[in-house]
Amino acid sequence: MHNNREAQEIGRRDLLHKAGVAAASMGLLPLVRCTTAAPARPSVIPAPVGGNEEPYPIPWLDKNGSHNQAGSDLEPSSIYHFSGRVARAAEFVGSGVDGAGNRLAFGSRTTDNSFMQGECWTSQRRARRGAWTHL
Amino acid sequence: MTLFQGQAVPENQVHDFHPPIRPSGLYWVVEIPDGGLEISADGRSATLRMARIEVIDQPRWPAPDAEARPASMDIAMRWTATDEPLAMNDPTKQFRFRGWKARCQLEARIEVPSIQFTWKSDPMETSRADFAIIGEETNGKYYSA
Repeated sequence: MHNNREAQEIGRRDLLHKAGVAAASMGLLPLVRCTTAAPARPSVIPAPVGGNEEPYPIPWLDKNGSHNQAGSDLEPSSIYHFSGRVARAAEFVGSGVDGAGNRLAFGSRTTDNSFMQGECWTSQRRARRGAWTHL
Repeated sequence: MTLFQGQAVPENQVHDFHPPIRPSGLYWVVEIPDGGLEISADGRSATLRMARIEVIDQPRWPAPDAEARPASMDIAMRWTATDEPLAMNDPTKQFRFRGWKARCQLEARIEVPSIQFTWKSDPMETSRADFAIIGEETNGKYYSA
């Protein structure tokens, strides 16, 4: 009985030793150390904290899963929290020629363009002036 | 901008050029560099001119799994207000627009280097947009009912 327990203990130590050698040979020990060492955090985080300086998108999608189809009752801007000048155009009719000489038309509802010039409110909760285009 | 082989209907779509959607969800929007946009003092006309815009060509758009190739676009657009005013006010979506219906024309040049594809539109005067507006808008934080 006593000998059996000794044999089991030796077997367990041997197994742990082999596992350690295997982990070291696979380069896992440094990884283990990395996951336990938390990066140092600054005591003060300077403003602006979080977010970014990009304009907000319009928060809803249209029936195609896109933003802002053009129409007389549909919002012209592609930017939310915005105030300024806008213009929008869609349903173009036009044509052109590719490098091989083939004539290719452009247009339909999916050729829709606009500009927005003015002030927007970013996710950093700061006002930003600029000009943007939706192409 | 969508290109079609033959009539401009979805089944004939062969290219679709637009800026990629930003990680924020901002949809096909790029900044206009200084000098790229000129608006008249009365706000009734505007001209947009940009060159070498980094866009993508996504011929199978709007398929969610549509692949894309890097492309480049030069574009010039001109909006001119008509005498027909247009006003929108949507308290639910919190936006207000005041302006005019407009005429709009464009010309563009496109290049997809990876497939040696180029395309150039006819002169601006030969195009038209069946829908165009120009004016002022406030929405979201700037909107008041």
